[in-house]
Amino acid sequence: MRGNKRLAAIGAAASAAALVLSGCGGTDPGSGGEDATAWVLTGGSEATFRSSFESWNSDNADREIKTDWFGNDAYKEKIRTAVGSGSAPTFIFNWAGGSLADYVGNDDVVDLTERTKELQDRIVPSVLESGMIDGKLYAVPNNNAQPVILFTNNKVLEGAGIDGAPTTFDELLDDVAKLKRAGVDTPIALAGQSQWPELMWIQYLADRVGGPETFNAVINGEPDAWSSPEMLKALGMITQLVDAGAFGDKFGSVVADANADAALLHTGKSGMLLQGAWTYSNFLTDAPGFAESGDLGFANFPSVAGGKGDPANIVGNPANFWSVSAKASKEQQDTAMDYLNDAMYDEEYVDTLIENGGVPVTVGAEQKLADSEQAPFLTFAYDMVKNAPNFQLSWDQALPASQGQALLTNLSQLFLGQKTPEEFAKAMNDAS
Amino acid sequence: MTVADRVREPRQTTSPPVQPRPRRVGPPLVMSAPAMAFFAFFAIVPLVGVVILSFTTWDGLGTPTWAGTANWAGVLSDPVTQHAIRLSVILTVASWLVQCPTSLLLGVFMAGRQRYRAVYSVLFFLPLLFSAAAVGIAYKSLLDPNFGLGTALGIDWLNKDWLGDPSLSMPTLVFVIAWCFIPFHSLLYQAAARQIPPSLYEAATLDGAGRTATFFHITLPQLKNTIVTSSTLMIVGSLTYFDLIFVMTNGGPGNATRVLPLDMYLRGFRSYDMGGAAVVGVLLVVVGLAVSFLLNRLGGSSRMDSQMDGL
Amino acid sequence: MRARTQRPNVVGGLVGTLWLVVTLVPIYYIVVTSVRPRADYFTSNPLSIPAEPTLTAYREVLAADFTKYLVNSVVVTVATVAVTVALSLMAAYVIVHNRSALSRRAFEVLLLGIAIPIQATIVPVYYLIVRLGLYDTLWALILPSIAFAIPISVLILVNFVRDIPRELFESMRLDGASEWSLLWRLVTPMTMPAIITVAIYDALNVWNAFLFPLILTQSADKRVLPLSLWTFQGSFTVNVPAILAAVVLSVLPLLVVYAIGRRFLVSGMTAGFSK
Repeated sequence: MRGNKRLAAIGAAASAAALVLSGCGGTDPGSGGEDATAWVLTGGSEATFRSSFESWNSDNADREIKTDWFGNDAYKEKIRTAVGSGSAPTFIFNWAGGSLADYVGNDDVVDLTERTKELQDRIVPSVLESGMIDGKLYAVPNNNAQPVILFTNNKVLEGAGIDGAPTTFDELLDDVAKLKRAGVDTPIALAGQSQWPELMWIQYLADRVGGPETFNAVINGEPDAWSSPEMLKALGMITQLVDAGAFGDKFGSVVADANADAALLHTGKSGMLLQGAWTYSNFLTDAPGFAESGDLGFANFPSVAGGKGDPANIVGNPANFWSVSAKASKEQQDTAMDYLNDAMYDEEYVDTLIENGGVPVTVGAEQKLADSEQAPFLTFAYDMVKNAPNFQLSWDQALPASQGQALLTNLSQLFLGQKTPEEFAKAMNDAS
Repeated sequence: MTVADRVREPRQTTSPPVQPRPRRVGPPLVMSAPAMAFFAFFAIVPLVGVVILSFTTWDGLGTPTWAGTANWAGVLSDPVTQHAIRLSVILTVASWLVQCPTSLLLGVFMAGRQRYRAVYSVLFFLPLLFSAAAVGIAYKSLLDPNFGLGTALGIDWLNKDWLGDPSLSMPTLVFVIAWCFIPFHSLLYQAAARQIPPSLYEAATLDGAGRTATFFHITLPQLKNTIVTSSTLMIVGSLTYFDLIFVMTNGGPGNATRVLPLDMYLRGFRSYDMGGAAVVGVLLVVVGLAVSFLLNRLGGSSRMDSQMDGL
Repeated sequence: MRARTQRPNVVGGLVGTLWLVVTLVPIYYIVVTSVRPRADYFTSNPLSIPAEPTLTAYREVLAADFTKYLVNSVVVTVATVAVTVALSLMAAYVIVHNRSALSRRAFEVLLLGIAIPIQATIVPVYYLIVRLGLYDTLWALILPSIAFAIPISVLILVNFVRDIPRELFESMRLDGASEWSLLWRLVTPMTMPAIITVAIYDALNVWNAFLFPLILTQSADKRVLPLSLWTFQGSFTVNVPAILAAVVLSVLPLLVVYAIGRRFLVSGMTAGFSK
């Protein structure tokens, strides 16, 4: 009797273990069910994405696209492990650049060149190029052009005796001093906690001082690229701004995902903000009164006296992109291709983008922009992109992941006064 | 602990326990097999895995490739990790210095039998119900330099950039972590203090000892074992604490709060250097084991002696 | 410790009261802000009681799939605790009563396990879970949690099983009881208080766990409560009352358990450490 009972118990335990290990009871992690899935970012072009997926789903009830929404930082946290574990969503949101190259290198995304011809005809060629690796298209743009723009609160500037956005770096320093004298503790809003907004400063300054070559040296892996005189000069200019108290003393807690830096601008606590074009959409949602009152100004980044870079060069993101997961099932991939060809950048899509203050990266959008309510900003942004000799992709996206992460950390230390430009350069050279 | 009520066949005996004649060896080993299997598979295997991974290069997307000792050399010489080690030590020491005396005092205080102390102890326990994520998120908002506590009380000094200023972030963390764990440790001390036989105190009072003297000569020595246990938990816990720090500062500002566990996570899941992360992981395991072992030795020899000796 | 002297303990009382304030102010802040109308958040005094308290924030949170996360947390916790307790009791019984060297080794190995920081093994566990095809399932949370909860549970239970007088075993064995029936009819009832405390201690740890869910799950429908709080930050960005309402809701289940089983919860937290 006792022997049987014992055996029975062991048998039960063993079969339970087998059941457990076979993953029974959990969903199949591979394709995630039948529906195509998309992980979409909140903020920025959210409204456009929502309405587009909603209308797709109502027209295609048999092949819906299931969406999961993430804040920017939370998304970046999870996407890589998702792709690495083979459970990526069908639609992978990305910024092209280094991480796309990694995905391509590991065969995680599908070659879109042949299957999205219809869509490709609608897109501005230079933006399409950003989604190409080795001549093949792996990512297609999905929203607006996102140059980095200097936003201003004109009321605050006036109050400090400043007439419009600064056009040179020296003027900028001057303005910071004037703002401080007028009692504005945080002349320039900066989301220091999120770290990546700080990139915008070094990106522009490096380009203005030394032209695109300054950063290209880094991308090309030239030794000691970070210690070039131009780079050091640009880094020194940041230290100048920090020492002048341009960013206030609380920027370490300001979070971009919470639109806290934009809040500083529209509540009048700051006079200037250097941020991506998507911030304009956020102003429209969070503070429509401010956006439409004319107090919100937008300008190109100041030039630097004696700098080699063309003052019309811009930095930022050409757009955000969709890639299609190679691990998705055939049905999911088919749904994805159809969506990309039929629904992306159709009339409604473009109209919603424009309504929400974004410049679509489609050909022939000028007239619509000029006709829209947001014409002043949109035409400004559009011209900025059109006339730019060079559009530099955000550095943390352009670089491979480990360097990107080191860049963010070291840059944040530079802003906090914990590293000098030389120490920053050394740390970055070591990390390359 | 009374045994009488629990047994289904109440047969009590007053004779001292006798070594059972070896009629049977006892429960079969296989009965402990499932537990050991689980532990071996999900704890030991990963432990070995961390060591192996530390000798490979893996970016999370492809498959790991052998890298020899490159990761070890790289990580150990990396100033960021060295800084992380320093920070972990600072956090641990500071936490111990803050939490140990406070919990001890609170625990002894709550062991008293006055009614209001019971109410206090009910309320003291509340922070333990919050997950690290909950505490982190709530405190981020409470400590917001623009809309937090300072604004509320009108005390401008409280409006500092607690989490965004590199020199303030670590002390702030020490405080919040203490807020979370002092309740736990004070419970340990409370339970232990309650077990101190009143006879000791009576004897002391008879000898004319004042409150302070009683505390230092009776209470404290009687709590020795608890101090060791509590300190072990505190120290090992501080060295490996991740959740709250991740939610509150993510290792920042800059590297100001990038303690070892954060360093490991950021290397693995932000820089995608899994091999490097594994090196830090091994460090953590070694340190955890070493500290436990050391502390056990320090306080362990007296483990077997009863605190009641001589009564 | 009977208060023999009538002199009030001033220092103790002061420290105690001070700590009480320190403990309660953040909790008060959380509750008060969660009922504050969103528009007032930026303008009113953070510690004031809102003029028009509202439950809007709670409604928003509940509408955002909160119940699903709650259910996930419950499932993971119950499954983990049930299996852990059962397996740990079995192992504790073996360790105490089986005299072989192997069982002693097993105990030593388990004791080592208590000192292993769970965070250090996260990368290989991730790899393992992915290879097993369990990534992004609740099993990914349950299985490793069981493994890591076993050492401390076994330790606590061993302490209690040790106290069961051997004569009881002998007498039952004389009656022909098998080891399994001894386990069920003798050990289990006699260690019930310890079992309950172990269950509660493990449950608290699993319920509030964050790192494993962060790495091992990704879909919204596999999210557990602490993780959902973290992601709420992303979807509720500037809506602080909503974020804090989520915090309150995440603590409520434990608060209910606390109210009902306070004594067990408290002894659960100190179980095994005070011995």
